[in-house]
Amino acid sequence: MKKNWKKDDLIVRSLADNYLPIAIVLGFYVILHGNISPGGGFQGGVLAASGVLLLYLGYGFRGIASALNMERMHKLEAIGALAYVFFGLLGIFAGYNFCRNILFDSGSIGDLWSSGTIALMNYAVGFKVLTGVGFLLLLIIALLATEPGHEHDGTITTTEQEALERGDSE
Amino acid sequence: MTYDVYMHFPVIAIMTFFVGAFIVTLCGSKEKIRNVVAGLAVLIPLTLLALLIKPVMVDGEIIVYWMGNWEPVEGYAIGIAIEVDALSLFFGLLVAIAVALSGFYSFQYIRQDDARGSYFTLYLMLSGGVMGIVLSGDLFNIYVMLEVMTFAAVGLTAFRTWNPNAREAAFKYLTVGSVGSTCALLGIALVYAQCHTLNLAQISAILPDNMTPTMVLAFALLFAGFGCKSFMFPFHPLAADAHGAAPSSVSVLISGVFTKTGVYGIIRVCYFLFRTMGNEAVQVLLIVIGCISMFVCVTMALNQHDFKRLLAFHSISQIGYILTSLGLCTALGVAGGLYHAINHTLFKGLLFLTAGSVLYATGTTYLEKLGGLARKMPKTTILFLVGAFSISGIPPFNGFYSKWMIYQATFEKSAETGNIFYALVTVVCVVTSVMTLASFVKVGHSVFFGQLRPELEGAKDPPLGMRVPMWIMAALCAFSGLFPNIMLDYVIVPAVNAVYNVIPYIDTAMGADYAATHLTSYMPLMNGQLSVIGAWSPLSWLLLFAIALAAVLLVSLLGRSNRSVTCVEDSKHAVFFGGEQAEYSHAAGGDLFWGFKHNLRHYLGYMSRVHTGVTNDYMVWALTALAVIIAYCFAFI
Repeated sequence: MKKNWKKDDLIVRSLADNYLPIAIVLGFYVILHGNISPGGGFQGGVLAASGVLLLYLGYGFRGIASALNMERMHKLEAIGALAYVFFGLLGIFAGYNFCRNILFDSGSIGDLWSSGTIALMNYAVGFKVLTGVGFLLLLIIALLATEPGHEHDGTITTTEQEALERGDSE
Repeated sequence: MTYDVYMHFPVIAIMTFFVGAFIVTLCGSKEKIRNVVAGLAVLIPLTLLALLIKPVMVDGEIIVYWMGNWEPVEGYAIGIAIEVDALSLFFGLLVAIAVALSGFYSFQYIRQDDARGSYFTLYLMLSGGVMGIVLSGDLFNIYVMLEVMTFAAVGLTAFRTWNPNAREAAFKYLTVGSVGSTCALLGIALVYAQCHTLNLAQISAILPDNMTPTMVLAFALLFAGFGCKSFMFPFHPLAADAHGAAPSSVSVLISGVFTKTGVYGIIRVCYFLFRTMGNEAVQVLLIVIGCISMFVCVTMALNQHDFKRLLAFHSISQIGYILTSLGLCTALGVAGGLYHAINHTLFKGLLFLTAGSVLYATGTTYLEKLGGLARKMPKTTILFLVGAFSISGIPPFNGFYSKWMIYQATFEKSAETGNIFYALVTVVCVVTSVMTLASFVKVGHSVFFGQLRPELEGAKDPPLGMRVPMWIMAALCAFSGLFPNIMLDYVIVPAVNAVYNVIPYIDTAMGADYAATHLTSYMPLMNGQLSVIGAWSPLSWLLLFAIALAAVLLVSLLGRSNRSVTCVEDSKHAVFFGGEQAEYSHAAGGDLFWGFKHNLRHYLGYMSRVHTGVTNDYMVWALTALAVIIAYCFAFI
């Protein structure tokens, strides 16, 4: 890859604008319907986390840095995992075994809300994967951004001052 | 099936580690809360498992816990189970003790490092993974936990990222370790294809009567996979690199706990799932691998210049003892192997922690840069001596008893079968033990005794928070050496019985008579009677040592009057010393055995050349080992 490659592209940015909501909606759709259709928490979480990549493609590292907080993302991931264990422990609290589905007669088969604790655990997995994969992507992108020669990759000059600092002629 | 409250303990023990790991992440940089959470997360599982000793070890109950109450239907176990018999609990306890002590040690120890938050996350993940392996009753879950454990261990190996060795060691570990994981996964897939189940109990009932060639391949793959996790012979260089680079508190886990999961896996595979241990070819395979690991690693250890690398090679050498003893397939052999497993965790943990204290105080573990620390760190020195005596098998510490059992087991096996090969194994074991002592004399001399290095004037004993876990480990070493009968009655014999008699393990999980209907050709693999002949009374040995100590003290005190006479600096003596001032000269530990080393220079030089440190070479070793094991299994099973 050429070192001075700059992603200052209107087409990419408008495509990212359009696809970002689609990716996130699709991701959440797959998470929500994990219990009644193919896919589930993990697949949906990864789909939704791809939004991070779209954001990066469109707005560069600066766009991500202003929109997402890495530290918070890291902590949310832990909360997702804890939520999973909590829903698993509900079985013990209710007097059964670990991971026992205690809301098993909720809704009729085929409904969105029909699988009790399993759906809740599925959502917890989705949340954990969404934040976890998102955090991983952010980490990779952050490493890219700190590499020498890539400081301004994919970032768009927003102020005149910045353009002057970088020495862009456009 | 009754549901007593302790049925929940194993799953809560595993989950506590993982919950602790995630809460530690949430704590961020609040050090005090983080330490409280991590402390609780290592203590709760220990307590829960200790409470299980009564029902499982004493009453002989087997805990079978179906996740989500998915119990077997029509003789097929579809749900995921946690099955805790005496063998699982034995390894679980061993893990919990090592994790708790090392965890408390690391509160102080990692003060010098950055990124302390992620340390405890990974530490607890590793502990949870190991605990999951030893308590699980589901083959695929064992694989998942194996991966969790491996990746956490790789992360912890590379924890000191400023150290290029650490990154390199982590990379080696990752690549060669993945050979083991892949083998295990492939083996599990083949077993699943054959048995249509992943439950350990059900496989143990179905598989032994259906040893098709595919299953021979599966056995070889699982054997190699778990062998890689236990760092047996051709996989051993990884351990040396990883231990050398990782923080000491992690080395305790990698050597004392991580390798034990490999041993546990080999026991499960050979004695339970495939029951191939009755086959003499498998016994010979295990014994030969054990002996080679023992001997090669102890000679490599003699050659090392780094405290922790030396300990790492010793660690594999002791694993060799355990594997050899387990390969004998006699009650005494299994008992000796299991006893040595718990002893190894204790004394090697202690030694790694003392190495960590030396590193903490001086900033180096390089033997040639250390010396005379006994004056500055007397408490650490005593602890080191306890560990060194234990590992070298000096009574009254624990290494003596388990090694004695192993010698006796190999010798008895030789008498039983009339095969001289087993007597030679005894000789290898004894020679290895002697060389272990030799290399610890070397370590003791070059680190703690001799003249104090001028640059180590500032060294001092580690703080109390680091000493207390070490003292507990030392006390446990002495306890398990002085009261072997308590250990045997409460811990070892129940575990040996679990290995000896598989039927209850199957029946408790799958329903009564399941084993009788499916496992038609059942024959106990060994004689269940555990008899220890020979005169062993630790107290009389202790008395002997006390008398010897008193004699030494007496002589020392009598000679005291002479010692107070100080030599006056006089130029007339100078003629004998060439008129020069006495200067610092430390006999380096490596020079102690120069004659021995000189005579063995060809062998030792060859060994050093072969251990190149190149990942590709080690990968070739690992793959060759895999190929040889597969070929051997096809040829002889």
